[in-house]
Amino acid sequence: MVQITFELKNRLADLDVLCEHLASFCDNCGITKKQKFEINLALDELFTNIINHGFEDDAEHKILVTCAHNEKIVEITIQDDGIPFNPLEAPQPDLECTFNDREIGGLGIHLIKAYIDQIDYRRDSDMNVLKLTKILKQ
Amino acid sequence: MDITETKHDNYSVFKLNGRLDSNTAMGFEQKLFECIEGGNQKLILDFKDLDYISSAGLRVILKATKNLKNADGKLVLCAMQDYVKEVFEISGFDSFLPIVPTIDEAVKTI
Repeated sequence: MVQITFELKNRLADLDVLCEHLASFCDNCGITKKQKFEINLALDELFTNIINHGFEDDAEHKILVTCAHNEKIVEITIQDDGIPFNPLEAPQPDLECTFNDREIGGLGIHLIKAYIDQIDYRRDSDMNVLKLTKILKQ
Repeated sequence: MDITETKHDNYSVFKLNGRLDSNTAMGFEQKLFECIEGGNQKLILDFKDLDYISSAGLRVILKATKNLKNADGKLVLCAMQDYVKEVFEISGFDSFLPIVPTIDEAVKTI
């Protein structure tokens, strides 16, 4: 089992830090390039969502990420002290509407759901705790 | 991310190299819209060396597509890696954007 934990701050520049940690984690676990892309995209969408919408003040906040790999499963837990936000309850984007009505809102969450097999959300005192589970298919 | 812009007689090609995410999308948007506002309304995005795209990148492409449609312009995407193409498919963007396998086909389409 491989497990890493790292801390990010609520600033866009830390997206690169997130990607670097994920890349070394995935390489250590022998995760394929495609799966690495999918995990990275899900985490990217989640992180940018948290920093863009999660905080009502201008203060610095910490976002804690834990990644664990066990045989065919990758589990990633993200904790932040932002406003309560359950991505599972976010409205679905309308992908069937005409081009002129297409909007970008909600697409990030849609991509997370497409690439992640199971999403569990809980509010733990003043923290959002989101667990993403990805089953590594051959 | 590196962006190389090549102007041809009646179209421009933007070749993207690296990652198109929340950190790089703004720079890409600026370059793309400078080109559009400069009167160049036929654009090819060459994604051969694009390793990554997030919804921040899709947002710029949607905005440019809407802008060009109003101006009677055209945007063609080409040479995507499979997993980048999948992001466009999952997002439903392949239903309104021309995505072709090679730069040669993009030039014929534009």
